[in-house]
Amino acid sequence: MEKSTVQKFRLGVFVILGTALLVLASYLIGNRQNMFGQNFTIETVFKNVNGLQKGNNVRYAGINVGTVRDIDMVNDTLIRVLMLVQEKMQSHIKTDAIATIGSDGLVGSMIVNIVPGNGIGPLVQDGGRITSYSRIGAKDMMSTLNVTNENAALLTADLLKVTTSLRQGKGTLGRLLNDTTMARNLEQTIYHLRRASGEADIMFRELNSLAKGMKGRESIANVLLTDTLSGRRVKEILVNLEASSKNMTEVTRELDTLVKGLSESSGAFNYLTQDTTLVKRLSVTMKNIEEGTAKFNENMEALKHNFLTRGYFKKLEREERKAAKNEDNSP
Amino acid sequence: MNTAKPISVGMRHFFVEIGEMSLFAGRFFKEAVKPPFEFKELLRQCYNMGNRSLSLVLVTGFIIGLVLTLQSRPTLVEFGAVSWMPDMVGISIVRELGPVITALVCAGRIASGIGAELGSMRVTEQIDAMEVSGTNPFKYLVVTRILATTLMLPLLVILGDAVALYGSALVENFKGGVSFQLYFNRVFDALEYGDLVPATIKSFFFGFAIGLVGCFKGYYSKKGTAGVGLAANTAVVFTSMLLFVIDFIAVFISDIFYEL
Repeated sequence: MEKSTVQKFRLGVFVILGTALLVLASYLIGNRQNMFGQNFTIETVFKNVNGLQKGNNVRYAGINVGTVRDIDMVNDTLIRVLMLVQEKMQSHIKTDAIATIGSDGLVGSMIVNIVPGNGIGPLVQDGGRITSYSRIGAKDMMSTLNVTNENAALLTADLLKVTTSLRQGKGTLGRLLNDTTMARNLEQTIYHLRRASGEADIMFRELNSLAKGMKGRESIANVLLTDTLSGRRVKEILVNLEASSKNMTEVTRELDTLVKGLSESSGAFNYLTQDTTLVKRLSVTMKNIEEGTAKFNENMEALKHNFLTRGYFKKLEREERKAAKNEDNSP
Repeated sequence: MNTAKPISVGMRHFFVEIGEMSLFAGRFFKEAVKPPFEFKELLRQCYNMGNRSLSLVLVTGFIIGLVLTLQSRPTLVEFGAVSWMPDMVGISIVRELGPVITALVCAGRIASGIGAELGSMRVTEQIDAMEVSGTNPFKYLVVTRILATTLMLPLLVILGDAVALYGSALVENFKGGVSFQLYFNRVFDALEYGDLVPATIKSFFFGFAIGLVGCFKGYYSKKGTAGVGLAANTAVVFTSMLLFVIDFIAVFISDIFYEL
């Protein structure tokens, strides 16, 4: 090849390469914006588009399926968003699908998310409308957060007060936390409670066995509880007992009347029991009798030693000794 | 020798030069649409301007992509926004860095080359000889060169952009484990026609400015052989300045049309 031909060839390659790259870049950019290929349009109406722009992506169940083609005001409150969606998605998007406006990541651009509905509606047609749902915007979220924040501040202030009181040992909880004596007492109480419950357990067990025993054997209690014949007898006894107690009451009342009569009447008994002068006299008399008896004993002792009566007393002693000897010999 | 000129003289000189250049541009448009057309010379100039600048543009672009990614990576990592690297690099290269860097590189190589070539032809009276021989030197020398730079620069910019993005993707692939497919998917997700079209149109103007200033400085060079060097030097300086002015105007206009 000639030199100029080689140059032309190289120039041709260069030009074609450059042009091809330009065309490719244009195609790729256009393809992203759904400018080529088969598309269909869907529209929806929002009250607030949160900064959505023409060319923003449209996603169906998370897949990029199209772009926003147009945004215009329908009236003073409603905004119509026209979306260009790949035609192959027409067989999936139904009229009950819901469009929401979201953000692509935390700092990303706005996107329209089409969320599949219940799947019972008919397929959406070209130019068809789907319902929209206005999500809470960042501004609303911030205002809610602000309220939450204020509440949190109040809560923490209250909490601080509570913890301070607790730390200082104020109130029941504070005492519980700080008072060691109380804790010890509580511990002891719990210990005793545990013991009591243990003993109660044992007691109940014993009661249980007792009850079982009563049930099984022919004990009085069991007879009382189970035997109807004995029960009737017991009833009769009780009736008799009641009658006896009535009689006893009557006897007691009569005795009472008698005693009253004795004490209130002017009889000897009343005189004996109520007259203190007589008692004193009786006491003196008794003293005189005691003294008389002592002197009489002395006289008797003197009589024993008197020669006139001494023989009689010795005779009595002999007879006594004889009688005692006879008792010893007898078997 | 008094070299210091009063400001008024300098300003007057500047405005005279602007006026002359405007006339030169007007003459170019008049000559460009009037047959006969110098296709062969145009192709030769396209080869000279395009193919011979290619390696320089590719290396520069690759390094720009590489360095831009490496430099911005730590900051993006710090903000947890490293996943936005393709978006950032893609937009900045396609919209601004690719066209401007490529144009500046070409201004250094092509504008100085044209200035020196035409300047030497002027001082050696070859241009005068062409006029005498009946050949239109403006059509043959100037129109072909300006057309060649205008047509070739957008292609160089596109190739430069591609290589720069490849360099950036390479860094992300090595450092962040991002696949090339994901990287370029993200780049084209971020790009819009509002980025590519104004940048491409801007590149045509950049190419035109490079060719125009280079040719003007060379075509009207004076003062013998010293004037050749001066023509090459002033061509580069003036072109670089003009490129930024055009860039500013281009961004201003594309902002009106595309709401950047």
